[in-house]
Amino acid sequence: MTQFFKTAYLLTDGIKYTLIIFFVTIILSMPLGFLLTLARNSKIKVIRYLTATYVWIMRGSPLMLQLFFFLYGLTFIPVINKFLVMDRLTAALVAFVLNYAAYFCGIFRGGLLAVDPGQYEAAKVLGLGKIRTFVKIVMPQMIRVALPAISNECITLVKDTALVTAIGLTELMYFAKTAANNQVSALPYLVAAVFYLLMNLVLERLFAYLEKKYSFTKNTVPAQERPKLFGGRQKV
Amino acid sequence: MSMIVVKNLKKSFGDNNVLDGVSFSVEKGETVAVIGPSGSGKSTMLRCLINLEQAESGTIIIEDAPLLVDGKYVNEKDARLACMKMGMVFQNFNLFPHLTVMGNLTCAPLELRKMTKSEAEKRAKELLKKVGLSEKADDYPSMLSGGQKQRVAIARALMMDPEMLLFDEPTSSLDPQLTAEVLAVMRQLAQDRMTMIVVTHEMGFAREVADKILFMCDREIIGEGTPKDIFENPEDLRIKEFIDSILK
Ligand SMILES: Nc1ncnc2c1ncn2[C@@H]1O[C@H](COP(=O)(O)OP(=O)(O)O)[C@@H](O)[C@H]1O
Ligand SMILES: [Mg+2]
Repeated sequence: MTQFFKTAYLLTDGIKYTLIIFFVTIILSMPLGFLLTLARNSKIKVIRYLTATYVWIMRGSPLMLQLFFFLYGLTFIPVINKFLVMDRLTAALVAFVLNYAAYFCGIFRGGLLAVDPGQYEAAKVLGLGKIRTFVKIVMPQMIRVALPAISNECITLVKDTALVTAIGLTELMYFAKTAANNQVSALPYLVAAVFYLLMNLVLERLFAYLEKKYSFTKNTVPAQERPKLFGGRQKV
Repeated sequence: MSMIVVKNLKKSFGDNNVLDGVSFSVEKGETVAVIGPSGSGKSTMLRCLINLEQAESGTIIIEDAPLLVDGKYVNEKDARLACMKMGMVFQNFNLFPHLTVMGNLTCAPLELRKMTKSEAEKRAKELLKKVGLSEKADDYPSMLSGGQKQRVAIARALMMDPEMLLFDEPTSSLDPQLTAEVLAVMRQLAQDRMTMIVVTHEMGFAREVADKILFMCDREIIGEGTPKDIFENPEDLRIKEFIDSILK
């Protein structure tokens, strides 16, 4: 057991990159994906097609390939290449954000299509303009529908962070591999797995909570019976 | 004074002519029932009145505000002001599922800054009482029966203080018992002299409550008159056939 904690301690350095990539990707790719969704539904045909092509390329090719492309591939472009040189972390973040934005675009679009056209009509006859209708009526319903898919995407992202090992970033997997070689033991892999599983456990609980909160069914339940984040006593 | 005047309204979807010169007017305080076979353009006509569909030619004037004049729409802002004089109730209710009943009622008045929060909630409570749903204010639409949903939809439309209400088959997706509770609310509105245009298949309601009936068939209004005129002495054979078929 002490060996387990010692190994865990050894791996903590790697968690830094794992977390940076996770949070930066989530924080940037969701809004970007949302903008892509709007572009995907644009009135202007060219914008629609460009967005569709972008989504096709980013979802249709391996993230690993995109990582190499942003780190090394861009440096072969003549003339402008000197502006495109990135350090490993930046390249990884660019690849992850652009890749995940494409996935989120697809997810939000699905949510948007699931909103009943009658909702727009009801909002219109009540005098709500386009922007208010979108923000107050459409978006909450879209997010509700998209939540399970967003949850899936976040969990995949936690695991995908391991890919940056391939471009030499020293994240959790990198440390696990090195430690396993040094200790000649499988224990570091086990410890790394525990880290990934714990992160995903937190995410799953978070999304279970959000899905319950956005289920739009119960409201007349007393506060203590409302969904809780971690079974604790915090107010909702 | 006429609440709404419609002249020579024409509308087609592609090469499907749906409205071919529809004209009528509704006086303040009148309840008008629109009946006729399905596919005759009743919904399209109603949706044109509140600008959910755009007609190709004709004139629509709501109270003193023109929406469409000889085939030309007024600018967007004036169109919105004209349409704000009306509320609409849909067959599928179209309540906002992510808002409580109270939220459904207060959302638009608050967003449009027509009322303060406390004014809106006070008014919402009055209207919920009027439609018999006082105890449902905190429920979400998914927890309500169809009849309750439609009564909430009526209350929501009334929140905007419309001069006139449009109903598109408000009871067609309800079973008879739930239909009765919605019709009761509409009867009450008619007694309060709310101006209403009601597209319906409820012949009992049309006959007893409406001041005037418009009969639509084959892209036109082919009959217009009191319930007595339409039900007892229909001029057109098509009206007689329709009424016979529905009362059978
Ligand atoms: N959005 C639409 N696009 C194309 N055709 C439509 C649309 N809405 C209605 N129609 C057509 O217009 C005609 C009249 O429909 P509608 O106004 O719904 O009739 P009613 O309400 O009397 O049953 C029908 O032939 C229908 O197919
Ligand atoms: Mg219809």
